Amino acid sequence: MATGQSQVAVQYDYDIIKKFAVMSLVWAVVGMAVGVYIASQLAWPVLNFDIPYITFGRFRPVHTSAVIFGFGGSALFATSYYVVQRTCQTRLWAPGLATFTFWGWQAVIVLAALSYMMGFSQGREYAEMEWPIDLLILFVWVAYLAVFLGTLMNRKQPHIYVANWFYLAFILATALLHVFNNLAMPVGLFSMKSYSLFSGAQDAMTQWWYGHNAVGFFLTAAFLGMMYYFVPKQAGRPIYSYRLSIVHFWALSFMYMWVGTHHLHWTAIPDWTSTLGATFSIMLLLPSWGGMINGIMTLSGAWDKLRTDPIMRFMIVALSFYGMSTFEGPLMSLKDVNALSHYTDWTVGHVHSGALGWVAMISFGALYHMIPRLWNTQLYSERLVNVHFWLATIGVLLYITAMWISGISQGLMWRAFDEYGNLQYSFVESVAAMHPFYVMRAIGGAFFLSGMLVMAYNCYMTIRQGVRSARLAPAQTRAAVA
Amino acid sequence: MLEWLADAGNAKSLGLVIFFVTFCLIVLWVYGSKKRGARLEEHKHIPFLDDADDVKEDKHG
Amino acid sequence: MFKFKHEALETNTGLLLVATMMAISVGGLVEIAPLFLIEDTMEKVEGVRPYTPLEQMGRDIYIREGCYTCHSQMVRPFRDEQLRYGHYSLAAESKYDHPFQWGSKRTGPDLARLGGKYSNEWHVQHLIAPRSVVPESVMPNYPWLMENRLNYADIGQRMRALRAVGVPYSINQEEYERNVKDFGPEMAAQFHIPNARESLVAQVRAGNYDGDPSYVSEMDALVAYLQVLGTMVDFSQIKPEELVKFR
Repeated sequence: MATGQSQVAVQYDYDIIKKFAVMSLVWAVVGMAVGVYIASQLAWPVLNFDIPYITFGRFRPVHTSAVIFGFGGSALFATSYYVVQRTCQTRLWAPGLATFTFWGWQAVIVLAALSYMMGFSQGREYAEMEWPIDLLILFVWVAYLAVFLGTLMNRKQPHIYVANWFYLAFILATALLHVFNNLAMPVGLFSMKSYSLFSGAQDAMTQWWYGHNAVGFFLTAAFLGMMYYFVPKQAGRPIYSYRLSIVHFWALSFMYMWVGTHHLHWTAIPDWTSTLGATFSIMLLLPSWGGMINGIMTLSGAWDKLRTDPIMRFMIVALSFYGMSTFEGPLMSLKDVNALSHYTDWTVGHVHSGALGWVAMISFGALYHMIPRLWNTQLYSERLVNVHFWLATIGVLLYITAMWISGISQGLMWRAFDEYGNLQYSFVESVAAMHPFYVMRAIGGAFFLSGMLVMAYNCYMTIRQGVRSARLAPAQTRAAVA
Repeated sequence: MLEWLADAGNAKSLGLVIFFVTFCLIVLWVYGSKKRGARLEEHKHIPFLDDADDVKEDKHG
Repeated sequence: MFKFKHEALETNTGLLLVATMMAISVGGLVEIAPLFLIEDTMEKVEGVRPYTPLEQMGRDIYIREGCYTCHSQMVRPFRDEQLRYGHYSLAAESKYDHPFQWGSKRTGPDLARLGGKYSNEWHVQHLIAPRSVVPESVMPNYPWLMENRLNYADIGQRMRALRAVGVPYSINQEEYERNVKDFGPEMAAQFHIPNARESLVAQVRAGNYDGDPSYVSEMDALVAYLQVLGTMVDFSQIKPEELVKFR
């Protein structure tokens, strides 16, 4: 065992992966804590404390950026560098450039969070970073693409494993989206402020083309890449159908780019774009479910692992949430459903069933699988993984149930008429009615966050264990390498 | 060409045609031949070839 | 069947890259490109004008505070929304909005037609302490808007940047005269970049938005912006049939 592992340490570049894996945990704790805090602000507005830097409006992008780009992004960097090396059986190309992607990316998250709190924002959802940060992202991203492609080209294995296709599509699409959505004119060379190149309807189209594909490629395709490697590895069985994964890949990458306009139903954009968006959203159900089935069926014949292996349980529940939210999404993209659901908490619930249920849980599974291997040790405690699993699951369920009820109630209250044909409720009555659900949502978030803290502790102990045993047996390792 | 593309009505049908044809071709290609299918399925074992330890395991999968 | 080898794709990094790029580009091209090319994306309606320097500064504060995370600016064509907010929003109404602020969430009400519905005093009180006028509100207090002096030193630069992305602010006599023709002499003076600071202060003096004439506060700017929202188009002058074809 020791011999095999130490060879692996020489075979692959783990240092950069370790860094990203640790930061992924750090940003998860930070981002989710901010999330719970802003959820509580909506339930108890006094928590804004009249401090400009932490009012809901400025703090909300801190939450979204920390969890999406900090936690999700770092997890993707870590796993993609891990997967691409291991499936290509080669070391990372240009490790110096890879190190730049680490420091660059961490700087992006820190600068973004600080700048939002200071009031610098582009006012575009999920792309609030002002232009200097956008430029830094661009540099990091080009370096990332170069490292990834370079490693692919150095591979010892003739075939490029499908997980890498998903990662590649994610890197390319993110580059494309980032560049076009952030075209802006700075006020001055030394001013953080800029104005977007597009205005009004065109700007809305560009932003939601970005916004939805950030979900499609950053939060879906990339995590599917993760799924296609870590689910088979953890299960000890190859993916259910490789052919299905090929169809899945092409259909998903092609169709996702069309669906952004379902965020703009009934707004001032031409009707046909909205119809087109809805049509593709419905069709997207097929590849989404194809992927889910492919992942879950990988376990066929070994279902007992669901009982015995809590890491596997994270992955399979993640896939189930993926299936659920990719069913809910097309439903919400139907214009008549959207007329009710748009602008309400239902959307927020939908995002979180995808983000907590799918993205976070598949990342937890992958990190639990990867961290012991990176530090050449065993997981500190499987029981704590189990505790994390239940805290996370209860948290998600509380969260999305609260948001379903509040979202649908809002939609119904806004459109309710009394017997004389007047509006039945004033807007603020709907706000007051949401209070209990906002409390419930904050509690759900707190559950999820406490699970995350358990994970952070478990991983910390695992890493400490690994570092200690490496220090105890350096002589052996050296001998083994020689 | 550009004018045709720029016409709202045409974009819809264009999109559907491109999508549908490509999709059919991919599905045909992937599932069209048993031999190719078998070859493709072999690739699923790649994740198990990555460690000195794992090479042994590969045989069973 | 046609002669095509997927092996070529899956074993060649470059080809995989190109094919993936093609697959992900089609959707955006077909959907977004036409919006820039075709003319009927936007109605031609009278009255829509760029923001005055003060209103633009207010809009920038609106973005700074992240108001869009809880308020939309897009009334949809439903009976309940028209009763609650007013006429549904037109694309033309946000044509000078860089960036758009249509929003995606109504934790608070839509603001697209807020202008003129409440008095300046109400807005000031509501922004400083929302629950003092609407007890059930969950909006944060914004007391610093009243305390902070508006920093409008770079208003000219801001307008120049906006001019570069297509907003018809003027920097010379010729452009100024074009604006006189398009928007009238009063507005054209406001849109003239060399006079931006003077125009801004003059609008604060005339409007006295925050109730304290002694200095120009951020509150002045934000209230001026909120009071112009949705008021530019006079819907009594437009026949509904004219708008239908843009839906």
